[in-house]
Amino acid sequence: MATESGDPERFEDVDWDELGGLAVPRRTLAFVASLVAYALLLGYDYLLVAEDQPTIPVAGWNVTAVDWLFLLTLLAIVFYGVVPLVVNRRLTVHYWHQFRKNRAAVVSLVYLLVIFVVGTVGTAFIEPPQLDTLAAYQPPVYSSVPADVPVSCAGEVVDGRCQGTWAHPFGTTGQGKDILKMVVFGMEVSMQVGLIATFITIVLATAVGTTAAYLGGYVDEVLMRYVDIQLTFPTFFLYLLLVYLFGGSLFLLILIFGLTGWGAIARLVRSEALQRSEEEFVRAAKGAGASTPYVIWRHLVPNVSNTVITAATLLIPSLILAEAALSFLGLGDPTVPSWGRVIADGRGDLSSAWWISTIPGFFLFFTILAFNFLGDALRDALDPRQEGGE
Amino acid sequence: MYWYVARRLAWAFVATFIILTITFLLLEVTPDAQAAQLQFQAAQGGGSAEAAREAYETRRGLDAPLWERYSNYMINVFTLEWGWSDTRSQPVVEAILDAYPYSLMYGIPAVLISTVVGIAIGLYSATHQYTLADYAGTFVAFFGISIPNFWFGIILLLVFAVELGWVPVLFDPNVPVFSVANAKQLVLPVFVLTTAAIASEMRYARAEALEYVNAEFVKTAKAKGADGRRILTRHILRPALVPLSTILVGDLLGLILTTSYLVEVVFGIPGLGRLSLDAILNQDTALVLGTTFIPVLIAVIGNLLQDLAYTILDPRIDYGDR
Repeated sequence: MATESGDPERFEDVDWDELGGLAVPRRTLAFVASLVAYALLLGYDYLLVAEDQPTIPVAGWNVTAVDWLFLLTLLAIVFYGVVPLVVNRRLTVHYWHQFRKNRAAVVSLVYLLVIFVVGTVGTAFIEPPQLDTLAAYQPPVYSSVPADVPVSCAGEVVDGRCQGTWAHPFGTTGQGKDILKMVVFGMEVSMQVGLIATFITIVLATAVGTTAAYLGGYVDEVLMRYVDIQLTFPTFFLYLLLVYLFGGSLFLLILIFGLTGWGAIARLVRSEALQRSEEEFVRAAKGAGASTPYVIWRHLVPNVSNTVITAATLLIPSLILAEAALSFLGLGDPTVPSWGRVIADGRGDLSSAWWISTIPGFFLFFTILAFNFLGDALRDALDPRQEGGE
Repeated sequence: MYWYVARRLAWAFVATFIILTITFLLLEVTPDAQAAQLQFQAAQGGGSAEAAREAYETRRGLDAPLWERYSNYMINVFTLEWGWSDTRSQPVVEAILDAYPYSLMYGIPAVLISTVVGIAIGLYSATHQYTLADYAGTFVAFFGISIPNFWFGIILLLVFAVELGWVPVLFDPNVPVFSVANAKQLVLPVFVLTTAAIASEMRYARAEALEYVNAEFVKTAKAKGADGRRILTRHILRPALVPLSTILVGDLLGLILTTSYLVEVVFGIPGLGRLSLDAILNQDTALVLGTTFIPVLIAVIGNLLQDLAYTILDPRIDYGDR
């Protein structure tokens, strides 16, 4: 932006209005444009399309409230996660070199990408698991059970044992639902819960944390006291109470997770932003007459983003786990094929059909493990100030 | 410092008060499931749904003005008049008193084991950083944090109860507390709870101890010829225990309360978690509230103790500010 032609012109002489004034970055423009498009589509779905009609008739896809939130989350991830990485190629390479040192994290990232793509794209192409009592209790492929366990064995019966087939690679549940399909649809649920609730959390925690730190005084006191109270209430029991009172549809569950779980991260952001707001550049901006929202958005938020990203990555697994736990307890959304619910379904058949509870659990376990590895590696890559274990 | 303690105590009361008020308001704005059920029954039986609702409200004192109901609710909470459990036909407090010994039976051993073992592993990892044992410890920590406890419990039941038959599949609440049979059926719940707690404890212990492993006073002690055990217990563990002791109270409480809830459901232990879940599934609001107050109360007291412990254990911190 500054002149490099060697003019005697000095910084104070530049007529900023002539140069375009307060330029809005192209990325922000694109983001706002897609938000407008999003709002129009949302309005179309809610005002013009009947409740039980599919939103997009060609695909037969009835976009639910959760889907809409998920789309918004993905938009934000693209514009504030993917685009900056693509634009700042040099920094991306630097981070990647840091990140690549941790081999477990690279494997985790690949695994999570697969889960994400299969869970979001794959579910559009496969049929949801159907009730089929004839196909109940089929064992997974390369394993066998006594032939009297399944209603009718889909594979061969050898020595009185029913062999698993590739028709149901992970076997079927007591209702004859294919476990592979249940697992794939469970991926979608887990990703939606983890990403949407974390997105809400990030927005709230960053807004509250930076505002409290920058404004100080009574605003700080009131906001942080509220956070104190929110943190005193044990999270899981808060979920339980709210699910009991309001019901456990997936949409509400995600909202409950997002609206009540941001306290700890807000505290982190506040302590980080407190340090940042003492820095020269913030004082310079203030001295130049920048408004409070401007300083917070342009100077504080980018500087606490590393803390936020790391904390958010470590928050996702706990949310996925909480959703699975609630579904396991039978308090989740009964219409949604969550991993926790499949695990609960198989509990009664542990001695005869071991695969129903165990297989979805492995996916749940590895997804949580992968997010934990990823968060740990991000902390090492993004935050050079922290050393050692924690 | 006394001023700080006094203010902290006052804040604990205020926080409890606000939480209870929010709970009351939540109850007010949500439709009462029991009232809805009674109305439905009345309507099905040909009666008036409106009359059924009014009768229900009069019986429960719900027709009183909002303020009166609020003050009654508050007084009842603080005097332990937590209402009547319809599904169990006994007072809520009695139901809780019946259930909590079962929670303690596996909770206390798990907390003790995980604290001792977790700190020990954490210290060892810190003093032997980047060795094979350290990596193994880190791996165990990741495993413990990541594994879904309820699923882990199921897997353990599958292997050790169903396949191997070493422990009973179903929990029997009638065996004597101090008996081999009871110990046998508690091994798996204790183990599951321990793995959950141990992971975060060793991570904290390792991080805290690392701060002191290369401290000047540790080098001095080494130079003066103190042996490894003395350095570890007197020079590293002591300063590390200060933040650790508070983390143990604050962060572990939530973890243990949550895990124990799921553990009780998986293993069929009739403790507080099981009681709470049954209350939720049966729409027994009084019992749901009562069983939710317990962990909230524990958390408030735990947080209070955590902050107070800090003032006593670490006199360097200045409390003039907050």
